[in-house]
Amino acid sequence: MKFRCERDALVEQLGTASRAVSSRGGALPVLTGIHLAARDDLLTITGTDLEITVRASVSVAVTEPGEAVLPSRIAVDIVRSLDSGAVEVEVSGEEAKIVGGRSQFSVRTLPVDDFPVLADPSGDEVTVATADLAAGLKQVVRAASSDDARPILTGVLMSAEDGGLRLVATDSYRLAVRDLPDATVLSEGQKVLVPSRALDELSRVLGESEEVRVRLGEREVTFNVSVKDGEVQVTTRLIEGEFPNYRQLIPSSYPNQLTIGREPLLEAVRRVKLMARDTTPLRLTQKSDCVELMAVTQDVGQAHEEVDAQYDGDELTVAFNPDYLIQGLEAALGDEVVLETLDALKPAVLRSSQGGDFLYLLMPVRVS
Amino acid sequence: MGDLPILHVDMDAFYVEVERQTDPSLIGKAVIVGGESERGVVASASYEARSMGVRSAMSSVLARKLCPDAVFVRSNFSRYREVSKQVHEIFDSVTPHIEPIALDEAFLDISGAHKLFGSSETIAWQLRNDVYVGVGLDCSVGVARSKLLAKLASEAAKPKATRRGVQPGLGVYLVPPQEETSFLQAHPVEALWGVGSVTFAKLKALGISTVGELALVPEDVLVETLGTSHGMHLSELSRGIDHRRVHSKRKSKSISHEETFAQDVFDRSHLVSEIIRLSDAVSTRARRKGLAGRTVHLKIRRPDMRYLTRSVTLSEAVDILPVISETAIEMLDQLDLAEGVRLLGVGLSRLGAPGPQQLTLVGEELSDPAWGQLSAAMDRIRERYGEAAIGPGLPRKNEGMND
Repeated sequence: MKFRCERDALVEQLGTASRAVSSRGGALPVLTGIHLAARDDLLTITGTDLEITVRASVSVAVTEPGEAVLPSRIAVDIVRSLDSGAVEVEVSGEEAKIVGGRSQFSVRTLPVDDFPVLADPSGDEVTVATADLAAGLKQVVRAASSDDARPILTGVLMSAEDGGLRLVATDSYRLAVRDLPDATVLSEGQKVLVPSRALDELSRVLGESEEVRVRLGEREVTFNVSVKDGEVQVTTRLIEGEFPNYRQLIPSSYPNQLTIGREPLLEAVRRVKLMARDTTPLRLTQKSDCVELMAVTQDVGQAHEEVDAQYDGDELTVAFNPDYLIQGLEAALGDEVVLETLDALKPAVLRSSQGGDFLYLLMPVRVS
Repeated sequence: MGDLPILHVDMDAFYVEVERQTDPSLIGKAVIVGGESERGVVASASYEARSMGVRSAMSSVLARKLCPDAVFVRSNFSRYREVSKQVHEIFDSVTPHIEPIALDEAFLDISGAHKLFGSSETIAWQLRNDVYVGVGLDCSVGVARSKLLAKLASEAAKPKATRRGVQPGLGVYLVPPQEETSFLQAHPVEALWGVGSVTFAKLKALGISTVGELALVPEDVLVETLGTSHGMHLSELSRGIDHRRVHSKRKSKSISHEETFAQDVFDRSHLVSEIIRLSDAVSTRARRKGLAGRTVHLKIRRPDMRYLTRSVTLSEAVDILPVISETAIEMLDQLDLAEGVRLLGVGLSRLGAPGPQQLTLVGEELSDPAWGQLSAAMDRIRERYGEAAIGPGLPRKNEGMND
């Protein structure tokens, strides 16, 4: 295998594909490698940990078609270290030569036959506008759990809802729901659970593309995006199992409603959080014309701030993990949000004051 | 550059000498403090007994074999604690920076005491004298730039038990900076903290038996053999690098209770009752200290003396009985205990103040608030009417005839 290409394009695509490479190969050492295939003036770079596969392609000048597996970390580091300009890669036997400017590297390759053969994506292709999906993912993915002991909660539920697409994620402390009314990806009644890590990778490459092509198979889903330097494909195994029945968690009515400017509240929360160390929660005392924020950490100090607001309900103090509240406020749409509460121990709802397609359910922290 | 800042003070045969104060007839005899029963262990041995090969933590049966003339004395820890407190008060008169390691052992940081009391050497001798005058007991003092060296130095200052009898010790031993390397490297590797039997075997396989030899091994070889943190740590220690400070306020790192059974236990329901009883003790002590822990430990010693330990880290810190006992029972059920259990222990670590509790949407909090109230009620009852006044209900032990 031998090809030449632009260093900047190669860095970009190599970096993207390498993010799926597992840091430790476990039973299959070849998985620490990155697969390169050159033919028809196209280089296809594949990294996988068997759960998530990222394939990035870039146009190159192929002198000699072929394929090889290079140790991922070192290949990425080498190419990144080179100056902009032409890079030449040549693989013969068990050795890969990488040449850029006056630098030359030779790297021992990994056995190409050991690299798993990845099935071509199945299912019909549908397209979704990138702008919608990107915004939805940004709002929802962060609410998913990162605890591998609870695999179901590490996923984002994608379900067909009134002809559109609904994204739902929860780590059991908060729940984010976003409706994309114009995205018809799934057929009515269909729902899949997609690992949030894969969607996080997808979000990173969405960038300036206009549309995302989605193919849903039996056990996996594939997203294709055109990027500046070529094409990126993210394929991920679907999570099996039943997502919690989130609808029953959302109370139908709330006695207390706080209407408040999103940005002023967000800024105040970020400030007061400075005095909320470790597990200290942030207390919100809701009064008729304002909300009082307070954080007290023993032996460190305290912070207090009032933000103007409009409040309907009985005076109520409720405490939250400040990070969860911040993430909810960042994700919420519009200039004004409504925080609805029942009491200090029941879930609160955060949404835009104009209604809309985003809802954030947040569980309080019990303070004694 | 200031004078040597760290003192390690270690009482000489502390328990034995306290016993000799109570009963002067023990003076000059081989004395062993510890249980004499079949399962007893040596808590402390006089230098006379040590010269016959008796060591701390040895089984009493073996100690008796090695030293048939030894007088066994039951340990009296409340008395040792009392004397220890007096000794610590003497330390306090020199510096507030004291890190107690055991009843008979402490590190002192004297870097701020020179103006008042003179050089490190002067302070060491004065302290040794003050302890003798104050409580009538001898101690050995190691003086050095680091905790590791100070500890080894106090060892070097101690009386030596040899086959020919007891050789008096130096009392105080200083390791000046220029002698650190030669002093340290002559020690066997076991002298370093963190070298237990497993590490010792690995080092032996590399042909390393002294600290000097260890210091010659490249760090990456040690990292490969022992893992990153342990390898790097030992490599540093072998070259005399030890940045640990004297921590005057030691927080408890874990709370645990254990029970050695008079006879090996095979019956699961008996073990479960013990776990509940031990978890009750652990949770009560945690609450009394105002602490909650995130990691629950189960420790088992089998009849062949091998330990099995397991731990589980929970999603939140707990201080109530049922979460601790249920977690421990889950761990118990994953162990093969066909050979029986000699000792059972339950512990709680990653301790901190019980914080505010993040509630979950689906109500799966570990600590049921009702248990919080119940525990508080139990604590109040015990405070008023004693430990035995109330306890958890235990499943009946299986006391069949052929078990």
